[in-house]
Amino acid sequence: MTLLGLDNLTLTQTAAYVGGAAAMGLGAIGAATGEGFTASRASEAIARNEEHAGDIIKNMLVGQAISESASIFSLVIAILLLFMDMPDPGIVKAASLLAAGLCMGFGAIGSGVGAGLPAGRSCLAIARQPAVSGRITTNMLIGTAVCQTPAIFAMVVALILLFKPAGGAAAFPTSAALIGAGLSTGLAAIGSGYGGGMAAGASCEGVARQPETTTAVTTTMLVGQAVAQTPSVFGLLVSFVLMFRSFPESTALSASVGLLSAGLCMGLGGIGPGIGNGMTAEGAVRWVARRVDYSGDLMRIMLVGQAVSQSTAIYAMVVSLVLIFVV
Amino acid sequence: MAIEGAELVKAAALLGAGLSMGLGAIGPGVGEGMAAAKACEAIGQNPKEAGLLTRTMLVGQAVAESTGIYSLVIALLLLFVV
Amino acid sequence: MDRLGEIHQLLIPLSGYTITINLEVLVMTGIVFLLALTFGFVASRQKKILPGKLQLIGELIVLTFFGLTEEALGRTHARTYAPLICALFIFLLISNWLGILPHLEEPTRDLNTPLSLGILGFVVAHYVGIRNKGFKVYIKSYFEPVFFLMPLNVIGELAKIVSISFRLFGNIMGGAIIILVVSYLTYSILLPPFLNIFFGLFVGTIQAFVFTMLTVVYISVQLK
Repeated sequence: MTLLGLDNLTLTQTAAYVGGAAAMGLGAIGAATGEGFTASRASEAIARNEEHAGDIIKNMLVGQAISESASIFSLVIAILLLFMDMPDPGIVKAASLLAAGLCMGFGAIGSGVGAGLPAGRSCLAIARQPAVSGRITTNMLIGTAVCQTPAIFAMVVALILLFKPAGGAAAFPTSAALIGAGLSTGLAAIGSGYGGGMAAGASCEGVARQPETTTAVTTTMLVGQAVAQTPSVFGLLVSFVLMFRSFPESTALSASVGLLSAGLCMGLGGIGPGIGNGMTAEGAVRWVARRVDYSGDLMRIMLVGQAVSQSTAIYAMVVSLVLIFVV
Repeated sequence: MAIEGAELVKAAALLGAGLSMGLGAIGPGVGEGMAAAKACEAIGQNPKEAGLLTRTMLVGQAVAESTGIYSLVIALLLLFVV
Repeated sequence: MDRLGEIHQLLIPLSGYTITINLEVLVMTGIVFLLALTFGFVASRQKKILPGKLQLIGELIVLTFFGLTEEALGRTHARTYAPLICALFIFLLISNWLGILPHLEEPTRDLNTPLSLGILGFVVAHYVGIRNKGFKVYIKSYFEPVFFLMPLNVIGELAKIVSISFRLFGNIMGGAIIILVVSYLTYSILLPPFLNIFFGLFVGTIQAFVFTMLTVVYISVQLK
């Protein structure tokens, strides 16, 4: 079977190039925005506290280096897509390469922007409390590193999509399922990455405000980020089902559209709850720094609030699973 | 590939179900998160009332979630009824 | 990679239907029961004023959850329902931690376990609601604020079962998938033990707590 009258090799190569462009083009959005935010906050911080300009610039550069990692993942996937060998060209391989590019491209947006937030806010925090700049930088490094998790999920899915042998799978609906798998993890990572960044940003401010609460603030931040990553774990789950379940051949339009729609549903549905969970974690972390004696109460209400605001992501996962297994 | 009318309708219903739940999940997710963030703030300012504030937050979130439930209902209707 | 789809099942044909029994989950649930019973027995065998380590852990769990239940439900109801809540937490905690040990896997990785626990919480919450408010007021609460919103209110209640059980299932299953993929990509060298600790201990504890707290919250909503 051929698509658009192209032979298999041309089709696969076209898909690989479009995928590579999407991976790098979309993947640059997040890191660039995040690093810009960091630089703007660093300038503000230096204007407030010139004597510690050295510390602030050092912190800014370290933070930007970490925000950049999401777009470096995109670069790796894009280069692989451009120069990889194509062992078994065909519609399935073409779909899987395009999906790998889309997955990494979308997946890098949230983590890039998100990692910029703690980096920028830690610069302001150092301007305010230069005595604990070491502690602020350490806290920022932990926060930004955890922000990268959704982008790492996207990279894992993209790598599997790149190297998964197309084998003898039927062109339809398998190719639609693979594109759905890419979109599911990629889009769902946007919300979780950004949300994790909000929590980490608040924790840098909190450390500067009350340096003696660092342990409680970092713990709350890590718990909040871990829960905010749940929507992207759901996205990963749906992607895996879509990638590794073998679908019976069917050229019916509805079979293909249904699987694509399953990925799209989970991907889009993960964005909002990821951001919302991040907001909750941000609020909790900010107030743990101010009222550390009530950190237990705050942690509990944060967990309950996050769990409830995740329910729409869970409905999206259920609709996706129904689209895959029932319809 | 010739596509029949009924097939096109079914495909559109499936795509619509995915989009309905996917897009419909964004708003309540952000909104409920915002409510929970404000509840944390309120508990920070007034820790004595933690029980009352938790209950208020849950009621508010339940109301904010209703649009998410409407999306779920529409998605299920599109999947199984249309 | 193939280990994910592999399930040991017992199929019993029964007049046209087939009853599927997932043996692995049964065995693992049995192990969790045994561990929980042993813990409870050993921790409470020699009660002292100065508690030993196990008694201390047991007292910590019980006191924390009695306190949390009392805050949400009030003193009288807490005496009735806190033992259930404590038991739920201990069961979930041991279940989620079980996957750390080699050759064992979390019973919560199978959707049936979280789903049945979710239905349990739902039934208890609505039983509390009917007993507390009376049947008439309970039914009336579905027709508020306007009578034609009744179907949506019912779906909203049923959706709670879905959200509570799929949250636990998705987190545990997602963690298992990530550990498997990373072990596959790195040939099980360095990262998998860390990931096991992260997903098993950290995420497992958080999710057990969240599940338990949400059950308390569902009961407390029905009390009002």
